[in-house]
Amino acid sequence: MAIHKIILASFIVYLMIQFSHGATKERLFSDLEKDALDVTAKPSRQGVLDAGIDKLSITWKLRSTAKKQANFTTIKVKLCYAPVSQVDRPWRKTENELFKDKTCPHKIITRAYNKSSQSFKYTLDRDIPTGTYFVRTYAVDAKDHEVAFGQSTSEAKPTKLFSVQAISGRHKSLDIASVCFSVFSVLALLVFFVNEKRKAKLEQSK
Amino acid sequence: MASNEEGSIGTSLHGVTAKEHVFSFSADASSQVVPSNDPTSKFALPVDSEHRAKVFNPLSFAKPHMRAFHLGWISFFTCFISTFAAAPLVPIIRDNLDLTKTDIGNAGVASVSGAIFSRLAMGAVCDLLGARYGTAFSLMLTAPMVFTMSFATGPVGYLAVRFMIGFCLATFVSCQYWTSVMFNGKIIGLVNGCAGGWGDMGGGVTQLLMPMVFHVIKLAGATPFMAWRIAFFVPGFLQVVMGILVLTFGQDLPDGNLSTLQKSGQVSKDKFSKVFWFAVKNYRTWILFVLYGFSMGIELTINNVISGYFFDRFNLKLQTAGIVAASFGMANFFARPFGGYASDVAARLFGMRGRLWILWIFQTVGALFCIWLGRANSLPIAILAMILFSIGTQAACGALFGVAPFVSRRSLGLISGLTGAGGNFGSGLTQLLFFSTSRFSTAEGLSLMGAMAVLCTLPVAFIHFPQWGSMFLRPSRDGERSKEEYYYSSEWTEDEKRQGLHEGSIKFAENSRSERSRKIALADFPTQETGSQTVV
Repeated sequence: MAIHKIILASFIVYLMIQFSHGATKERLFSDLEKDALDVTAKPSRQGVLDAGIDKLSITWKLRSTAKKQANFTTIKVKLCYAPVSQVDRPWRKTENELFKDKTCPHKIITRAYNKSSQSFKYTLDRDIPTGTYFVRTYAVDAKDHEVAFGQSTSEAKPTKLFSVQAISGRHKSLDIASVCFSVFSVLALLVFFVNEKRKAKLEQSK
Repeated sequence: MASNEEGSIGTSLHGVTAKEHVFSFSADASSQVVPSNDPTSKFALPVDSEHRAKVFNPLSFAKPHMRAFHLGWISFFTCFISTFAAAPLVPIIRDNLDLTKTDIGNAGVASVSGAIFSRLAMGAVCDLLGARYGTAFSLMLTAPMVFTMSFATGPVGYLAVRFMIGFCLATFVSCQYWTSVMFNGKIIGLVNGCAGGWGDMGGGVTQLLMPMVFHVIKLAGATPFMAWRIAFFVPGFLQVVMGILVLTFGQDLPDGNLSTLQKSGQVSKDKFSKVFWFAVKNYRTWILFVLYGFSMGIELTINNVISGYFFDRFNLKLQTAGIVAASFGMANFFARPFGGYASDVAARLFGMRGRLWILWIFQTVGALFCIWLGRANSLPIAILAMILFSIGTQAACGALFGVAPFVSRRSLGLISGLTGAGGNFGSGLTQLLFFSTSRFSTAEGLSLMGAMAVLCTLPVAFIHFPQWGSMFLRPSRDGERSKEEYYYSSEWTEDEKRQGLHEGSIKFAENSRSERSRKIALADFPTQETGSQTVV
């Protein structure tokens, strides 16, 4: 019963913290200024990129048509899933409410806003999963709220996407250890079994 | 037989309250007086004529009884850890192996499907080789499968490995078999409730253990995609260790190991075809099959989906989601024994009808809270709904095994095995229907599963015993059919009855008069206890 009393108490505390945050209007993706920044992401080579090895050359700069640039304080550059990588994977779903949206979970870099053209050479992280991606930059204001964005692909028909192949996570030492332990397990069982049969036979023959 | 005191004959707490004379109901005089060569005096706990313990002392590790209990439930616990080890790590695995929701759902179905067959086979294995080897086979032959997880590179490999690991859930049968030969029938309800409940806790512990192990390995420098593979070595290693402990310190039967005892012909066997036929012919077996599918079945399903649900829906960190998910499985520690105890209390007051009502109430209430869980939009409400759901469903599991021993005396072992398989079947079915496609979100799936469980619990109203009645009907008024002896001897043919093979069933029938309601039992003459019965 004790562990349940603890959980009950902690959820009551949680409830109070939740209520104390006060009601906030949910910020929506559709409210952001579209195409405020020109973003390009060039892979270091053709074909499917390898996570942990290949690089992306990312550049971004303010577009002349942008309106809200007075509010920009920081630029957050993120790696996002293309629609084809979101099929049958609800944990990568695109939602209009910004806090629920899971399209762009991988952070590339965060930099202070600068009017001139910026660039960054990004080496794909080793925990990037296999999939098809594009790059999006969010312009964030002083309150850490997104106000505008730009992306390396077009919205209607996704173009200029690039594919990444994840690392396998396997390693020869792991494979060897796995085989050794497995063999030990089966052998130990056989040894016990054979031994006991032999002892029982000896008992019987006495 | 009419006594309603706590600890009286016919309750699962007989022998535990420490108020009864433990030696006063021995079968034969030789075990009453204590000569210097009395075989029962070498046991640490008081035993009956078959050398089964009459007292349950969970704090002791004395051989052979309590040692068997602890080795049994810890082995079962370890297997639960391995079977559901992947579930809390799915958010990492799905990125490494590029899995879709369908892949994850199918692997979840596969993880519980293997045990449908292995649980059925385990009864026979225990009969042939003894409970120790049944347990050890299950542990040590599936340990390589756990290690093989490090080789998986895609959905097919992932599914195949989870399917193979799932076979080890057969330890449920070997554990219950082992306790049934070690403990007297009066207390077997409580003992099995504890062994089953504490073993099931493994499904909760794994949700805590695996994210923690994963985190520690990551801190040691491994990338996430390698760390989860290394993490799988922990449950595999535990299985091997437990297998060796079982073989070294365990003992098949109170008097020794099976191989030594088989020579003296102490182990007699019934014909399997007969046992099978009477189990399958009895419609109550199939109702229990469905019922367990929607209590243990949805519990197994939740073990697979709940951690990912909290991770995705409420954006918790992996370890936090694991802690929340773990509290579901941990409730088993007291919820399942409580269900068995409540069933015993209801039986004392209302007989078998009480047991059936308790089973229906717990299972339906649990299912209703499952519906609520799917609809909860905030984290605190979801946690509250989940905890209430876990208590209801797990108590229902315990209550069901308060009914099962009375369905058949001859085929009890097989009915336990079939019921256990029903649990896995229900889990496979619910995962396939509600959690393998993108048709329903996980939240919708949870509510639908709860609704289906409410519907599939209704058949308990159809379980009718002519001697005790059912939820809505009274016992039969026919003079002959209203006797327990009639019900239990109907499992034997006339030929077999002439040979006297049904004697054990008659003894069991006399003792099962405790399942009559208070009113009827008081009108009866108390009968003499003629000996313990085997509940295997």
